[in-house]
Amino acid sequence: MTTLSNTPGIPTEGALAGLKVLDLMWVVAGPTATRAMADFGATVVRVESANRIETARGIGPYHNNGQGPDHSGLFSNMNINKLGLSLNLGTDAGRDVLLDLIKWCDVLTESFSPRAMRAWGMDYDSLKRIKPELIMLSTCLFGQEGPLSRVAGFGTMGAAIGGYIALAGNPGGSPIGPYSAYTDYLSPRFALPTILAALDHRDRTGEGLYIDQAQAESSLHFMSTALLDYHVNGRVPQLVGNTDPDMAPHGCYAASGEDDWVAVAVRDDGDWANLCSAMGQGELTCDDRFADIAARKANEDELNGIVSTWTSEHGAIEIEYMLQAFGVPAHAVSNSSAAAQDPQFQHRGHFIEMEHPEHGTTTFEAAKGQLTETPPSYRSVAPSIGRDNDIVLRDILGYDDENIAELAIADALT
Amino acid sequence: MLLTPYRVLDLTDQRGMLTGQILADLGADVIAIEPPQGSSARSIGPFAGDDPGPDRSLFWWAYARNKRGITCNLDHPDGQALVHQLAAGADFVLESDDPGAMTARGLGYDDLSTNHDDLIYTSISAFGQTGPKAGYEATDLILMAAGGPLILSGGAGEAPVRVSVPQAWSHACGEAAIAAMIALRARSQIGRGQYIDISAQQSVAAATMSANLAASIGAAETARVAGGMAVGPFTGKLIWEVADGYISLTFLFGSGIGPFSQRLFNWMYDEGECTLEDRDLDWIGLGAEFISGARPLSDWARLMDVVGAFLKQRTRAELFDEAQSRSLLIVPVTTVDEVANSEQFEAREFWREHEMPGWPEPVRFPGPFVKLSDNQIEYRRRAPTLGEHNAEVYAELGLDEDALSDLRERGVI
Repeated sequence: MTTLSNTPGIPTEGALAGLKVLDLMWVVAGPTATRAMADFGATVVRVESANRIETARGIGPYHNNGQGPDHSGLFSNMNINKLGLSLNLGTDAGRDVLLDLIKWCDVLTESFSPRAMRAWGMDYDSLKRIKPELIMLSTCLFGQEGPLSRVAGFGTMGAAIGGYIALAGNPGGSPIGPYSAYTDYLSPRFALPTILAALDHRDRTGEGLYIDQAQAESSLHFMSTALLDYHVNGRVPQLVGNTDPDMAPHGCYAASGEDDWVAVAVRDDGDWANLCSAMGQGELTCDDRFADIAARKANEDELNGIVSTWTSEHGAIEIEYMLQAFGVPAHAVSNSSAAAQDPQFQHRGHFIEMEHPEHGTTTFEAAKGQLTETPPSYRSVAPSIGRDNDIVLRDILGYDDENIAELAIADALT
Repeated sequence: MLLTPYRVLDLTDQRGMLTGQILADLGADVIAIEPPQGSSARSIGPFAGDDPGPDRSLFWWAYARNKRGITCNLDHPDGQALVHQLAAGADFVLESDDPGAMTARGLGYDDLSTNHDDLIYTSISAFGQTGPKAGYEATDLILMAAGGPLILSGGAGEAPVRVSVPQAWSHACGEAAIAAMIALRARSQIGRGQYIDISAQQSVAAATMSANLAASIGAAETARVAGGMAVGPFTGKLIWEVADGYISLTFLFGSGIGPFSQRLFNWMYDEGECTLEDRDLDWIGLGAEFISGARPLSDWARLMDVVGAFLKQRTRAELFDEAQSRSLLIVPVTTVDEVANSEQFEAREFWREHEMPGWPEPVRFPGPFVKLSDNQIEYRRRAPTLGEHNAEVYAELGLDEDALSDLRERGVI
C-alpha cells in the first residue's frame, strides 16, 4: 500500500470542489456526512473546542493502544480531509468568528441539542435573514420539536429507542442489539442526499433550505418492513438469534480457530444440496428431515449440529472458499485483521494509509462510493484541535495578525 | 420538490430499491422497471394478512413508494430497446443485478451512455463489480459478516448475532444515493455523467464504527460485549435490565459523558443509594485515575454494580421521566410496537398513510426521513401495482395502445 502524504489545505479539485461547509457536528452521525463531502473536494471547516473534548476522541480503536485526544482511530476515520478550527463558542468573540464563517459557507451543519443554536441567536430563522441562500442541517436524535426533542443522546440511545436493540439477540435472552451507535451509521444516508439535493435546488432557484433531521426517524426506514408487519399483521419481532424465516441452515458457526466464526446462508434446496456435497455428506440430501425448507426449519437444531460439527474442523476462511466454490453463500465473520487482509477490500482499496505527525502512519477507510470520473482524494489526516486555525482565519476569513491576537486575548480560540 | 427536474430509471430488485426511493422522496420522477412477471421483491415476505401475492409484499409496499411502475422484459431484444429509449430521457440509471448481467444484456453503462454522456449510472452489488469476491453468493448475513459489523455484536465467546430485519443492502442503497447525488453535482462541474460502483461489503463497514481499523493502526481487536462496548480497558455497558424490561444507559467518565454520570450519581445519592464518596468522584478525570493505576480497575466494575442495583428497582417509565428532568443518558429499549405507538413520532406527525390495493384499512408508513422548511417530502404515490403506469410512461415514448398490446402479446412488457 502506498503511504499518502499529509498536506492540510483548501482543496481545488473534485466533484464538490468549491463547496464550502461549516461543520459544527460531532461524534459519528454528523462527521460521517461531512467527511464524504470533504473526500470529494468540499472545503469542510470542522469547529471544535479544547474546553469540551469531542466524545469521539475518547473512543477506540486507539493508535498503538495509546491514550490522548489524537489517538482515536474513530475520530481519525470520521475527520479525514477536514480543516480543524478551535473556537470557544462560550465567548462573544468566538461566536463572532462563527458568524463570519456562516457568511462564508454554503452549508452549515450542527448537531447540538435543539436549544443551543436558538440561545445564540443562530437558529435558521435568524440566519436566513442575513443569508437567505443558506442550507442548514440540524441533526439530533429526536428532531427540533416534540415531547422528547430535549432528550440529549448518542446513537446508542437512538438504537435503543428506535427499536434496533430489540431486533438482535438470542431467543429467551436479553436484547443485544447491533454494535454501538447504530442509528449514527444510518442517518447520514438520508442527511447527505438531502443536502446535495438542496444545493442543486439552490443553484437553480437561489433558495436556501432548513433540514431538521431526527436521526431516530430517518433510521426507521431501515426497518420499514417490521413496522408494516406490526401495523398490518399485528406482529412484534421476537429475538430469534441468526435464524431466518426462509432460510436454513442460516447462522454463524464456530470454526476451528479462536473466536473464529463462519456465516452460512442456505437459500434453497439447491444451496442445501451444494452444502451437503461441500461437506462430503451427499447422503444428507436424501434425508427426509432436511428435504425442503419446511423440514429444515422443523429440524433446525439437528441441522445446525451437523453443520457446526463440520465447521469446527476447518478454519472460517477455508470454509468460506470451499462453500463459495460450491455456490453456497458463506463468509468468514471478519474482524479487523481479517478485514485488513481481505483480498476484496484490497482490490477495492478500502483501507488508505497516510503519514501521521504523531503516529508515523495512520490507516483510514476510503470513501464508500467509487465514482469513476471524479474519484475522491485523500489530502490530510484528521486535525488535532486547532491545527488549521491559520488556514481558516487567514486564508478563508482574511483576518490579520491583529485580529487573531485579539481573538486569543478574548479566549476565543481555545 | 428538490429533485423535481430529474428522472431516474430504476432497474433494481430488492437489493437496490431504497436508493430510488430516497431520490423519489426528494422529488425525482423515478420509474421502476419490473420484469413482466413482477419484481422478485414482490415475493419477499412478510405479506399483508400473511397471504402471499404480488401486491401484498410489505417489502414492495415499503420501498416502491413515490415511484411509477412499468414492466419490461430486459432479456428480450425489444425490451432492451425500450430501456435504451427510456434511458435517453433519464438523468440516473440504478441497477442491482449480479456484476456483468446488465452488460450482457447490452444495458451496461457503456451501452446506455453512448450518445448520452450526461447519464449517471449506479451499480449496487454485494462486493463490487470486479475483484476476487465479485462473483460471491451473498445474503444479508453474509455481507454483515464480510463487512465487519457482525463480529462485534453478541456475547463474549458466543456466536455473533445479526439484526433480524435485513440491513446490509439498505446500507449499500444509502451509499448509492449519496454517490449518485455527488455525481449530479459533479455533472455541473465536468459537464458529463459517470459510472458509480457501490459495494455492499464496503457500505456495511460503516456499522463497525471504525472498529474495523484496529489491526491496521496497531490497536487490539475490539472485544464483543453483549449489550455494551469495550472502551479501551473498560467495558462500557449500554443495555441494562430494569424492573420491567431494559433501558439504554450510557455510563462512562470523561468530558463528554462524565457530566451525565455525575447527574446520575447526584440522583442516586438523593435517593440514598450511593455513597457521598462515589457521588463526588471526579467523573471527568476518572479515566485517567484508572489508567495511571491510582484507582484499581475493579472499582469500575463495582460502580457498574452500584448503578445496576439502582436501576433494577425502577421501571423504564420512571427512569425515562427522571432522565428528562435531570438530563441523563437514559432511554428505554423499545420494541417495534412501542416505536409505532411513540408519542414523540406522533407529536411530530411523522407517520403517513396510503390506501393499499386489497387491504381494507389505510396503511401507516414511516414518514419523511427529514423535515424541510420548504419543498417538504410528500408521499404522493403508493407502491405501484404491476405495470400500473405502462400506458402513461410508454405513451411518452410515442407508443399507443395497439403498440402496447403487441408488446404485451410478445412478452416484452
